[in-house]
Amino acid sequence: MMKKKKSNTIMGMAFFGPALVLLTIFLFIPMILTLVFSFTDYFALSPNLTHFVGFENYGKLFKDELFLQSFFNTVKFVLIILPCQGLGALGLALLINKVTHCKKYFKVAFFVPVVMSLAVVSTLWMQIYSPEGILNTILGNLGINAQPFIHSASQALPSIALMSVWQGVGYQMIIFLGGLQAINPALYEAAEMDHASSWQKFKDITLPELKPLCVFVFITVTIGAFRMIVQPMVMTGGGPSHSTYTMVYNIYETGTVNWEIGIASTMAIVFAIFVMILTVIQSILTRDKEDKHVNKKAKNG
Amino acid sequence: MKKIILESLILLLVMGFLTGCQGKKVSPGDVEGYDEGETYLSLWVHTIEDTPEGEAYKKSVEGFNEAYDGVYFADIEFIPRNDSGGGYSDKVNASVMSGGLPDVLTVDGPNVSAYAANGIIQPLAEIPEEEKAVYLESIIEQGTYDGKLYALGVLESSVGMYYNKDILEEAGIEVPDADHPWTWSEFLEILEQLKPIMAEKNGYALDMTFPVGEASIYYYAPFIWSNGGDLVSDDGLTVDGYFNSDANAETMEYFKTIVDNGYMSATPIEFLFESGRAAFKFDGAWEVNTIYTSYPDINLGVAPYVVSDNWDGGRYTPTGSWAYAASANTEHLEGATELVKWMSGVESGVYIWNLTKNLPSTYGAFEQIEIFRTDENYNALYNQLSTYGHPRPKTPVYPQVSTSFQQALEDIALGGMETKSALDKSVERINAKLERYVRE
Repeated sequence: MMKKKKSNTIMGMAFFGPALVLLTIFLFIPMILTLVFSFTDYFALSPNLTHFVGFENYGKLFKDELFLQSFFNTVKFVLIILPCQGLGALGLALLINKVTHCKKYFKVAFFVPVVMSLAVVSTLWMQIYSPEGILNTILGNLGINAQPFIHSASQALPSIALMSVWQGVGYQMIIFLGGLQAINPALYEAAEMDHASSWQKFKDITLPELKPLCVFVFITVTIGAFRMIVQPMVMTGGGPSHSTYTMVYNIYETGTVNWEIGIASTMAIVFAIFVMILTVIQSILTRDKEDKHVNKKAKNG
Repeated sequence: MKKIILESLILLLVMGFLTGCQGKKVSPGDVEGYDEGETYLSLWVHTIEDTPEGEAYKKSVEGFNEAYDGVYFADIEFIPRNDSGGGYSDKVNASVMSGGLPDVLTVDGPNVSAYAANGIIQPLAEIPEEEKAVYLESIIEQGTYDGKLYALGVLESSVGMYYNKDILEEAGIEVPDADHPWTWSEFLEILEQLKPIMAEKNGYALDMTFPVGEASIYYYAPFIWSNGGDLVSDDGLTVDGYFNSDANAETMEYFKTIVDNGYMSATPIEFLFESGRAAFKFDGAWEVNTIYTSYPDINLGVAPYVVSDNWDGGRYTPTGSWAYAASANTEHLEGATELVKWMSGVESGVYIWNLTKNLPSTYGAFEQIEIFRTDENYNALYNQLSTYGHPRPKTPVYPQVSTSFQQALEDIALGGMETKSALDKSVERINAKLERYVRE
């Protein structure tokens, strides 16, 4: 008995070992190094002159206008993306669930942008948004003046967010669709017997049943949106006037273009802590509600 | 027993990872063509092998190995580089720390100062004056930092002020010769005259944008120089009083005038010039080849770059591109210098032109390529480059100067920001980056 347990452990280690080695080299060590570098003035071109500077980088960062701007740009982007993509995906899933013909076609049509590379999608939308592009031509026919879209400081970020929603919404839609199909039809039948309206059915059956999925979508969309870099890199270069300059873009440029690995590491750490806190808050908020929901159910039962 | 085998397997795996990361030592016979008695020189270039540029470098290296058979052997490694500059520079940065730099590497012109100031590259071995004289003056100047020659370019580049001959003829405008360019005020009059004509064609007098990236400083810094201004001090360590000088404020306001008067579109429109809807366009030398091959309907001319009313006749037009330099790690400086000279020499320049249509860097190469005498547009670009070429600012914080310039230009000309405060803000940002060089 004892011997078997031991050999199990060894087998387990054998399977886990290679992954652990890779994770250590490519994830854990870099993470620790980033933390260490964030307290130094490490400059990529002269690593020999690196000193520990304590919290100096952190102090500098919060006085850096550009850092704050890129931070708020990212938050703004998340705030646009989150409701649009979450509700959009839910809406599409409900629609497709109702559709009787060509269901497969719609599923594929909405999912296709997800499998396209972000760089390709960005290039495509640059054409759509261009001053004489298709969108402005349509607007012109409707009697609306041409809009600058990605070339204006006020419209660039929303334009990119809109495009990102279009690109990403199909993925969450499929998740919701799976959730909808897994709901027990008996619940709806019972509701119909009680003469429930469609809104009541949606509110009291569909939404509660989809709750765990909503939490999942909420968190993944948030984290995904925080990571935005490709779209502004391809479409605007962070401009105009840094209106589309995001955190990750800033980290990348500080580290590779300006060679300031120390400051870039500090940014990465601050950013990681921020996202972590946010995720914890999100999961606490959503978990609480779920518990209440269960309690209520138990009481009613 | 099993446990021991498994444990040793895991250990082996870890060892494999660790040793795999260590630099390789090459001995004769390991690489094809590397024979006993030859000095091994490693070489990094910033492009992949399959591009025309990579092909040109490969041909140059083959020529070097043939010419120096029995003395040197150069081993070229192609390192991909993406549009925003990553890839190649990441590898260089990583090697600075781990000590794996090659003997010779390519460096982008504006980065020569930063690499030299941080001791990544070292001054080349003594090169006789007559060999130096082969290179365009702008190339020597670009490669010089703190009075020493560090790098020699194989590519040179320039920006042309292109015009549509048919449109200018229609408007009855004569283009001046290279030594008497239009001044800013003359140019404004011409733009005013062209405005109604171009409006009829649903276009603009100027096809001009202030894009994010290197293009803005490259195209428009000449306006700064011809107005007697500068972006950094001569030693590259001071910007206050240079970047935000009154002369530069005047230059920035000139761009604002162009935008405000509607001589250019505030939002970039693609292919404005190429579709015959703009009279002028600033663009790299490659534009000539693009127009010739893809837009044969456009009757292209190269006008001399406009100058400030205060121009003193000095050098002011854009130059600069990738160059070869010897790394600080090399133990064979003589050999590395020979390789740098060869890779940037006349023959290599001719390859570059033939394969990529990029301008070469030596007088000899220009002489060998007939089109620079027979084609008036190429000839104009060559003359502009050799007579008026001015290198970009030489400072270790060049990346910050470049982004700040674009930012200020955009804020002032398009964003309506107050000129002096926009320039002062840039100075503040650049100063923050200069700190590390000034404090020592």
